[in-house]
Amino acid sequence: MSGKPIIEIEDLFHTYMIGTPMEHAALKGTSMVVNEGECIAIIGHTGSGKSTLIQHFNGLIRPDSGKVIIDGIDLTKKRIDIKALRRNVGLVFQNPEDQIFEKLIGDDIAYGPFKQGLPLKEVRERVKWAMDMVGLNFEEMKDRQTFALSGGQKRKVALAGILALKPKILVLDEPTAGLDPRSRNELLDKIKSLNKLENLTVIFVSHNMEEVAYLADRVYVMADGTDVLSGTPEDIFTDKEKLQRYQIGTPETVQALYRLKDLGYNVTTSAFTISEAADEIIKVLTGGEVENHGK
Amino acid sequence: MASEFELSRNITIGQYVPTDSFIHRLDPRIKLLIFTVLVLAIALNTSYVGNALGLLLSIYLFWASKIPVSYGLSGIKPAIPFIIILAVLQLIFQGNVFSGGTVYFEYGFILITSESIRLVIVSAVRFVEIILLSSVLTLSTSTTELTHAIQSLLSPLKKIKVPVHELSLIITIAIRFVPTFAIEMEKMMKAQASRGADFGSGEWWRIIQRTKDMLPIIIPLFNIALSRAEDLILAMESRCYTPGNDRSTYSVYKALGRDYLVLFIGLLFSLLLLFYPFPY
Repeated sequence: MSGKPIIEIEDLFHTYMIGTPMEHAALKGTSMVVNEGECIAIIGHTGSGKSTLIQHFNGLIRPDSGKVIIDGIDLTKKRIDIKALRRNVGLVFQNPEDQIFEKLIGDDIAYGPFKQGLPLKEVRERVKWAMDMVGLNFEEMKDRQTFALSGGQKRKVALAGILALKPKILVLDEPTAGLDPRSRNELLDKIKSLNKLENLTVIFVSHNMEEVAYLADRVYVMADGTDVLSGTPEDIFTDKEKLQRYQIGTPETVQALYRLKDLGYNVTTSAFTISEAADEIIKVLTGGEVENHGK
Repeated sequence: MASEFELSRNITIGQYVPTDSFIHRLDPRIKLLIFTVLVLAIALNTSYVGNALGLLLSIYLFWASKIPVSYGLSGIKPAIPFIIILAVLQLIFQGNVFSGGTVYFEYGFILITSESIRLVIVSAVRFVEIILLSSVLTLSTSTTELTHAIQSLLSPLKKIKVPVHELSLIITIAIRFVPTFAIEMEKMMKAQASRGADFGSGEWWRIIQRTKDMLPIIIPLFNIALSRAEDLILAMESRCYTPGNDRSTYSVYKALGRDYLVLFIGLLFSLLLLFYPFPY
């Protein structure tokens, strides 16, 4: 599943507003490797440098120092093919629905492909594909007005606008923030199928640990401008000592299993996906300890 | 390496830099009053020496308020094209306005004299002085202080039914949101650049094309501005804001001796600029 490295970042530094009273260092020596086809979660508190880091992925921010190689393009070089880079790396910002500006859904999604100078037929196919990918019916929705959409639908349109660029790497900044639970689950499923079926490399920033447990192959934890921890969700969520040191939340399943374990039940705390956790709990309920379960 | 999108870097109006200097601690009403008088004096002075003094004063004020002058100067950067265009227009068309002075160049309607060159140089310098002065004012005064100052300076106008409070509120909100919209615009430019948009790379004479290139930023920004306005209204209403009511303030300003001293020196300086016959 995981191929060769597509993103290599080593000892990356970035400082905002150099030479002004508002100068502040956002990244202080971050390193990260992402392999082709992986799904990576970046977690960390506000101000830990997550957003600054992901803006390096498509060259919106250039590194002050350190090594950044994205899909074979070395970002420390002065002259790079920035358009090619942005074609290959689709960056979806927080609240991407703000960036919709055309009157009709289809036109808005077609903006990126048109800017690439593709022929009309190709653009149409891409828009259709992108709308299919996010679960919007092409024939029914393409001529609808953008302003009349619900929040969840708008976000799907914005995501489709990025997907229509056919990127190799999809980067999402808090993709589900502010969505209702149903839209949230739908969107997560779409992201998962893009990663697993279309073999898109996905990197996302999240504060929601359930999401991280559900989607991510590997997790990077950022704190104060550096990557302090990385590993599979299993590694991260079972390392109680480090969870506390960096004040990382855990999925509710992990919390429940830890509490059961503390009460003396024999459960595996690494079973954090919802179905695995359910199995563990059923095991407890049907096992010999059922009688003890007095509370 | 500065980012091509770091817009807020060049916006010094509406940012507050708390360095707790002498200038910061001055009574905001005095500061605003003296600022207004100084700007007027500078705007009316047409001599080289007078404007050189004004420039020195503005730079001194930066030093006194412990804010790097380079930061204030970066606020001039966006205005440079404007200053240049203005200078060129004045150089070409203003020669006939003033009589006297030595004629340096004459061709058709173009007339360049020592007086029109003086006008060009003085208005460019004047522009810089005014930007620097207003930067010092906003960088050293928080928006709350500024509102109080505007309101109390305009309060005599209440007698002739001028909505002073509303006016000062509008001014405050406008100033307060300049950096906010710079940040929004930065974000929007980045978001659209991620979709393949490029700004300002077309040839400069294709004005229509370049304007069209800006639509993906302008339209969302309008939307954001409107929804922000709505949010602001809700936030104010939910805190029971009623326009026109008499309201008390949390902080009461009392001008001290040093405030009057600054006022006195400032007025003296302005009078000098206004009435002293500078030789050059």
